[in-house]
Amino acid sequence: MLWYKGWLETRYRLLFCIGWATVFLALVHPAHTTPMPLGAKGSVFSVVMLSCPMVVLVGCAMLGGSGVVTQPTLQAAKGLHGSTLYTLSLPVSRVRLLAVRASVGWLEIIGLVSLLCVSLWVLAPALRTVATPLQVVKYAATIIACGSMLYGVSVLLATFLDDQWRTWGAMGIGVGLWWLCGYAKVPEATNIFRAMREGSPLMAHAMPWGAMGFSVAMGVALVIAAAKVVQAREY
Amino acid sequence: MTEYVIETEQLSKSYKDKAALRGLDLRVPTGSIFGFLGRNGAGKTTTIKTLMGLLHADSGSARVFGLPASDANSAVAIRRRIGFVTEDKELYPYMTVEEIIRFTRAFFPAWRDDLERRYVEMFDLPLKRRITELSKGMRSKLMLLLAICRGADLLILDEPTDGLDPAAIEDVLRELVSIAATNGTTMFFSSHQLSEVDLVADHIGIIDRGKMVATGSLDDIKARYQHLRVVLDDARQAPVRWGDGVESARQEGRVVTLLVSRNAEAIAAQAQELPGAVVERYPVTLKEIFLEHVRSN
Repeated sequence: MLWYKGWLETRYRLLFCIGWATVFLALVHPAHTTPMPLGAKGSVFSVVMLSCPMVVLVGCAMLGGSGVVTQPTLQAAKGLHGSTLYTLSLPVSRVRLLAVRASVGWLEIIGLVSLLCVSLWVLAPALRTVATPLQVVKYAATIIACGSMLYGVSVLLATFLDDQWRTWGAMGIGVGLWWLCGYAKVPEATNIFRAMREGSPLMAHAMPWGAMGFSVAMGVALVIAAAKVVQAREY
Repeated sequence: MTEYVIETEQLSKSYKDKAALRGLDLRVPTGSIFGFLGRNGAGKTTTIKTLMGLLHADSGSARVFGLPASDANSAVAIRRRIGFVTEDKELYPYMTVEEIIRFTRAFFPAWRDDLERRYVEMFDLPLKRRITELSKGMRSKLMLLLAICRGADLLILDEPTDGLDPAAIEDVLRELVSIAATNGTTMFFSSHQLSEVDLVADHIGIIDRGKMVATGSLDDIKARYQHLRVVLDDARQAPVRWGDGVESARQEGRVVTLLVSRNAEAIAAQAQELPGAVVERYPVTLKEIFLEHVRSN
């Protein structure tokens, strides 16, 4: 039932993220590609390289949660919601609450990225001329792996911040990292935004294993840190 | 079965530099209906949260069912046997009444379907309505249902009748007593409504400034306290000092009213010795005992 609770907490947020992804899908639709200056192929690539990292960034900020503090369905709220005490009165460990809620959000992000990549493939004929289905699958895997660090940040922030601050905090940290990855000399193996864009399987025709591994390791470490915080915190 | 469901010893807890509990000793006998009384900020909610494992005590120990409440694994085992009504009666805003019942039921194998049906009908709970659309009274009723139907050995109720109308309070109190009587469930409830506690509790604990100032069987406590009404011939005859055991003395003209906590016989005899004095004894209400303790502390 904790999965069900997690789903009820996130379903409208997921819908919001799908709506956000739809904006990008509309841009790659053939009807919209011709006016773009780089031509069909270039515009599709630029939209794909922008949309996937942005959707995963927004998805992580919106869908992360600790499972302890009750989250409203869509609007971010301030303050400790009283029903948190009800959750903590259930015979469930705090770590399990966190694990289930974090898993719900993560599965939704996987679904969101998969849906976006499949939709891009279906809706953009130009993409089909330059990339194989396997490359798109690899690209989706890259986005998911590189997004895990951003998701870990969101889960960790959810353990000690109001939902309002967590959402904007995760978004701000994500944008900051993106900026840092673009303008500072970040080693390739830790540059997750490069791995999602020019270093991705679609552009570089190779898996960015270093950045993917780094992001997954950081994501796991952040979720473990979140579990420690949840166990130690008082409510 | 242990003698006490809840036992705390020298339990202390501070928030930054403010002490909420100062060496609290609390014992709740198994099967009792225990009224936990105190002023706002006396430490009632902090005690309850510590027992539920939501707060970590600075020092001392808290045991529920003989298990340490501070241990994370024990806390899960403890919560499996507890029904809890929170002070603010907040539940998940995105669920309907039916959904939260179904959600909660999944965690408690001993869930009482019979009681669920009974309370849904008795409290007139609208199953399809969202929790955000319920009044505070309805949320209180729903929370009581969710706590009682767990089939718990211990019910911890923080202001359980808050928001209920007098008729509903009557129904709820009657149900609580009935559950305690038929299932042997221990009730530990905090309330500001002293009349409710007086009506249903068989044991009480009065907490003030983080310390237990009076605890025990309600009958024993009431038997220990007495009002002595002394009518004097002359108002000037009243002694300056009464004997040991007088908690308070109030004089209005020729009438002196004493609140006595012990040595009632000796004090009555002292009063009788005054020329022409008439001494009458009156029972003391819980409210008077409570006020006496929290004021003198």
